[in-house]
Amino acid sequence: MRIRSHGPLRRIAALSLVAVLAAACGGNSPTATPSTQPQTTSGGSTADTTPPTDPPVLTNAPTTTDPTKNPVSGGSLTVGLNSESTGYNPTADAWADSGHNVAHAIFDPLATFDAGGKVVPYLAESITPNADASAWTIKVRSGVTFHDGTPLDAAAVKANFDANKASPQFGSQLALLADTKVVDDLTVELTMTQPWGTFPNVLVGDIGAQIGYMAAPSMLAKADGGRTPIGTGPFKFQEWVPDDHLTVVRNDAYWQRPAYLDQVIYKPIPDSTARKAAKDAGDIDLYYTGSSKDIQEYQKLQADGTVGVTIGAPGEGDMLMFNTKKAPFDDVRVRRAIVMATDIARVFDYLDATGVKQPTHGPYADNSFWFAKSNYPEYDVAGAKALIDEYVAEKGPVTFDFAGGQDPFIVSLQELYQSMWSEAGATANIVSRAQSENISAVIASDFQIVLWGGIGGGDPDNDYVDFHSNTGQNFSGFNTPEMDAALDKGRELADADQRKAQYDIVQQILGDNVPYIWAGTNQYALVTAPDVLGVSDFALPDGTPGQAISGQIFFLKDVWRLK
Amino acid sequence: MTLVATRFARLVAVLVAVTFASFCMVSLLPGDIVTSVLGADATEEARAAAREDLHLDDPLPVRYVRWAGNALQGDLGISYRTQQPVSEAIGERIWVTLELVLLSQIIALSLAIPMAIFGALRPGSWLDRMLSGVQLAMLATPGYLVAIGLMAIFAVKLGWFDTTGYVHFTDDPLGNLKSLLLPSVALALEQVAIYARVLRTDLVNTFDQDFIWYARAKGNSTKRIVLRHALRPSSIGIVTLSGVSIGRLIGGTVLVEFIFALPGLGRFTIDAINNRDFMALQGAVVVLTVGFVLVNFAVDILHGIIDPRTRAEAAR
Repeated sequence: MRIRSHGPLRRIAALSLVAVLAAACGGNSPTATPSTQPQTTSGGSTADTTPPTDPPVLTNAPTTTDPTKNPVSGGSLTVGLNSESTGYNPTADAWADSGHNVAHAIFDPLATFDAGGKVVPYLAESITPNADASAWTIKVRSGVTFHDGTPLDAAAVKANFDANKASPQFGSQLALLADTKVVDDLTVELTMTQPWGTFPNVLVGDIGAQIGYMAAPSMLAKADGGRTPIGTGPFKFQEWVPDDHLTVVRNDAYWQRPAYLDQVIYKPIPDSTARKAAKDAGDIDLYYTGSSKDIQEYQKLQADGTVGVTIGAPGEGDMLMFNTKKAPFDDVRVRRAIVMATDIARVFDYLDATGVKQPTHGPYADNSFWFAKSNYPEYDVAGAKALIDEYVAEKGPVTFDFAGGQDPFIVSLQELYQSMWSEAGATANIVSRAQSENISAVIASDFQIVLWGGIGGGDPDNDYVDFHSNTGQNFSGFNTPEMDAALDKGRELADADQRKAQYDIVQQILGDNVPYIWAGTNQYALVTAPDVLGVSDFALPDGTPGQAISGQIFFLKDVWRLK
Repeated sequence: MTLVATRFARLVAVLVAVTFASFCMVSLLPGDIVTSVLGADATEEARAAAREDLHLDDPLPVRYVRWAGNALQGDLGISYRTQQPVSEAIGERIWVTLELVLLSQIIALSLAIPMAIFGALRPGSWLDRMLSGVQLAMLATPGYLVAIGLMAIFAVKLGWFDTTGYVHFTDDPLGNLKSLLLPSVALALEQVAIYARVLRTDLVNTFDQDFIWYARAKGNSTKRIVLRHALRPSSIGIVTLSGVSIGRLIGGTVLVEFIFALPGLGRFTIDAINNRDFMALQGAVVVLTVGFVLVNFAVDILHGIIDPRTRAEAAR
């Protein structure tokens, strides 16, 4: 049973070491997803599925916004993107973060995250499941038009789902969609082949979840429609010179209050050093970075008022993975000992990430709705040494290969781990291999412990393939029938609390058996010119705060420039 | 005229050989083209349609002849990824790369020729040794470091240039020059060192020739001897090298266009590789190869102009 298929290659890419290494190096993880998405269902009223109070606090850092100043319209914003996209047809072009950032200006997703990380309707007025979530009814807002003047109606929504279903790239994501039926002018009903409680998660406009963007049917009908995208978003497409710039201008007929900015120019600058230089030189007004070092540097400058720094909801965290099928990590005592010997504070210091990254004790950040406290070990060298001594007395020395990358920085990070583990009596042999070799080795189960990534951080259902026994991608080799059952149940349920109860079980089992070392959250920051305000002020249609920045993806609807 | 005709005949043969070879290379890259284009999750129907669109079931020679026939009419196909005609995409970018290569050649030669002359006039002097050291440093410094260093100093610190981006010549000629100067310098520095060292060696040899001693005996000034008598016979090496190094420069544009975010052909090629956009990659490889062959064709012609012996050989 598989609901969201990203395809094995994409999944592996998402898991790939490069994500971890990039994050460790301060690069931008290409696979980041928001970590605080506690709610997966939504409807006209979300009261019945609202997660408990005390939702996660998203770390919107102080900005330079002066609350006494009112936003004003006008001005242009130049945004530095990490990469260029092949096109802007949401049903044909698979986007990384850069593509989604442009798409967030031109298109609106059917759903998005509220400030607490809950999935709520956005372009849709409601997204409602039937009793067992085997059918979903989507009602779009009335009076919304695409940039070409055509209405957003049920037929347009159906056209988008049909195009995605037929898309070679995205068809598999809708493998459970059996039928899309127009109910009335504004309502479509989607019938699934089986219960799909987490369906709204794929509608938010995120990496691997872009089928929720609504494009004009006239654009979808053209083979090269992605070169001149037409959506309902706050900005209208104006011009695209690939690899140079893409310009959008304000949509004055927007269905919400029109955006403040007159225009936004997106410039793809693939080199991270050049992107930072462009920001420092004032050639771009906004860029986003996952580099803890850069974030720290800009946070110091923020005090002088020379830049604005806004930190969004964290993406998936850093992690290491044990091969629980191979000695010595087939013994839980050794796994626990290695976790206990890992001082995450020292790792953060080494990464210049103290105060930016947060320690994690499971797949989900401690402030996430999904987080459940478990028996995951705390740092305790003496305890680790005792466990190692016990193992050594029975089975012999604890010696293992520790796989990582070839980048000297990564090797030095591995050396830090090596030295910490040696304090407990374990000997790690550092193995430096190309990323592709590591991936092949992991797939072949030919590893003992590896720097890894792509697990945790988002909705727990995203981790189904990593934790379940029946997916072929549970590379740690750890699973139990109880965990499988909880994962299956969590997938079928729609109620947040009921789902959380299942994922609590999963986390307890993971905490007891520690197939992974959780090495801290990844944070991304938007760095802006000092006169760029409102970066964290994204408002939902009902006026309540939404999640302005999710991982590396952000809204610009409510951003304005001080005159 | 005979020389031009001979060279032109060779050019056509080389173009056919090179385009066929590049066509084969792209076709023989590992992995299934359809999987690369559509992803591993594509349905069988979509895969079959793509195979038909791309004529992948036809034999390679048939595909080449069809492609070459279209290419001769300026049609390099349509990118399966972007749905943009490849010739249109290349047309948008080729000027950036051409300008970049041309400007970097001008900068490299403008710096290399004086350096070579000053070094060759007094071989082994402190000036020669100093210039040689500078050239070694230019050769030894990685291009990435040069590019980032230039950007940090002249764009970020001094603010004289934009860090990244391209300004079209028709929009703003001065802005165009400013947008390309730092990348061109970054690209040129390694060439400066190579050109200067080759030309210096040739000049030193030429200065030992009898006709130079004769010119000196006649009381010609050093300036006249160098510019009038020594430079031309010494420049065959550097002219040949500047043609050959077009290939290296085109390779270098990939890095420079990436760092300075220029929408050129080098970055287009890398994007095509990353996106597995085979049609775009094929078009880019062919255009770059043809450009390389044409430049070296021009160099051959130039040889005939510089060195009468070449013309005589061709005439025989």
